[in-house]
Amino acid sequence: MSHIQTSGHGAVRMGLAIPNSKLCMWLFLGTEIMFFTAFIGSYLVLRLGSPGWPSDVADTHINVRLGGVNTFVLILSSYLVVLAHEAMGKSEFQKAWKAMLAVLALGCLFLGIKSIEYYGKFSHDILPGHIAENDYQALQKLVGESVQARDTLADRLVSGGDSPLQKATSIRGKVDGVTDAEKAFVAFETAVADLKSKVRKEEISLHVGSGSPGAHELNPLIQAYLDKWRSDPTVGPAFRVHDPHPIVYGNVFASIYFIMTGFHAIHVIVGMILWVFPLLRGKNLGADYCDWVENSGLYWHFVDLVWIFLFPLIYIVNFGSAAVV
Amino acid sequence: MSHSEHSGGSDHSGLYRAIFGLLCVFTALSWAADEAKAFFPGRSTLAVVVLGIATLKALVVMLFFMHLKFERAWKYVLLGPTVILAIGLPLALLPDVGVHYYDMDVPQDPISQHAFERLDPADGPGQSH
Repeated sequence: MSHIQTSGHGAVRMGLAIPNSKLCMWLFLGTEIMFFTAFIGSYLVLRLGSPGWPSDVADTHINVRLGGVNTFVLILSSYLVVLAHEAMGKSEFQKAWKAMLAVLALGCLFLGIKSIEYYGKFSHDILPGHIAENDYQALQKLVGESVQARDTLADRLVSGGDSPLQKATSIRGKVDGVTDAEKAFVAFETAVADLKSKVRKEEISLHVGSGSPGAHELNPLIQAYLDKWRSDPTVGPAFRVHDPHPIVYGNVFASIYFIMTGFHAIHVIVGMILWVFPLLRGKNLGADYCDWVENSGLYWHFVDLVWIFLFPLIYIVNFGSAAVV
Repeated sequence: MSHSEHSGGSDHSGLYRAIFGLLCVFTALSWAADEAKAFFPGRSTLAVVVLGIATLKALVVMLFFMHLKFERAWKYVLLGPTVILAIGLPLALLPDVGVHYYDMDVPQDPISQHAFERLDPADGPGQSH
C-alpha cells in the first residue's frame, strides 16, 4: 500500500490502518466465503437437477421450528458479541466477560438443538448411503436389517466366539431343553429366510395398490411381519429394522444436509473455543484482549451469516420439479 | 486499537439493539412465509421471498455487526475478488443446473433400471417425468 501508518507508539509502519490480526481474519473469512459458496453452489446444482428432491418433512425429518429457533439463538449471540466488543472498547471488561459467557452458552444451546435434529436423522436412518431410493432397494434393506437382527439375536442367545451362523446352527440343532427364546429365534430365522427368498424371486412387492409410488400402501404382509417381530418379547429388542420407505434422491439429500450443517457446526465449535480464551482470564480480562474479541467477533458473525443462508436453503425453500422446468 | 475506529468513545448500543430487533423481525418473516407457503402462487415465489429476506439479513449483519459500514476503503480491495468469485462459481455451475445432469430417467445401474420399471409399469424409461 502506498500510505505509511503511525502506530499509537509513534513507530512508522507500512500497511493498512488495521491490526495485522484483523487483516488476517478478513483474509481468512474471504477463504471461508469461498468454502461455503462451493457447498451452496453444489447444493443448488444437485437440488435443481434432481426433480423429486425430498422435501416432505415425513421423508427429510427436518424441523423448521427448531431451525428457526437456532436462527434466533445465533442472532442473539451475534448481538451479544457486538455488546462485548463495545464493552471492551469502553474498558468495561467484566460486562464484556458476561456477554461472552452468554455467547458461549448460546453456542452450546445451538449445538444442543442441532443434536436433537441429528438424532431424528440417525434414528430414522436418514444417512448418506443408507437410504433406499426405490422399492427394490427398500426390500433389500429390509432383508439386510432382518439378517442383522437375526445375527444379533443369535449372539445374545449363545455365548462364545463362534460366528452368528454357527450359533444359529447350534440353536436350530438343539433337541432337548429348548427354551422359549430359542423357539422364537427359530421361528424368526424361518421368517427371515422366507422373506429373503421372496424378495430374491420378486414374489413380494413393497406396496399394494396403484397410482404414484408415494401414494401406495405398505404391503400388509410386510406390515404384519414388522408388527409381529417388533412386539415379540425375544426378537423385539434385537429387531432394529426401519420401516421400508424409499426416498428418491434421499442419499444426495442426506449428504448435502450433513456436509453443510456439519461443517457449520464445526465452525460453531471453533468459535466457542475462541471465546474460551478471554473467558479464562476471568477478572484479569483487560485491554490486551480487545483485538482478540474483535476478531473472534468477526468470525462469529460470519458463522451467523452462513446459517442465515443455510436456514432458508435447507429448511424452507422447496424447489420442486416445477421450479426446474 | 482497531476497534476505536468505529466504536471507541461513541455508543452504538441503541443501533445494535435496533439491528437485533430488525434481524428478529426478518427471521419471523421467513418462518411466517414458510407457514403461509400454501398462499404463494408458486414454490419459486417462496424461494425468492425467503432468500431475499436472508440476503437482507446478511447485509445488515455485515454492515453493522461486522462494521463494514464504518470501515475504510480497504474492505473493497479485500472483499471484492472474493465476492466476484463467490458469485462466479454458482454462475459457472448454471449450465449443469439447466441440463439436469443427474436425471432419474437415466438410472445409474441395470438393477435400479429394472426396479424403476417395476415401480410404475405405466411409465417406461424416459417417460417418468
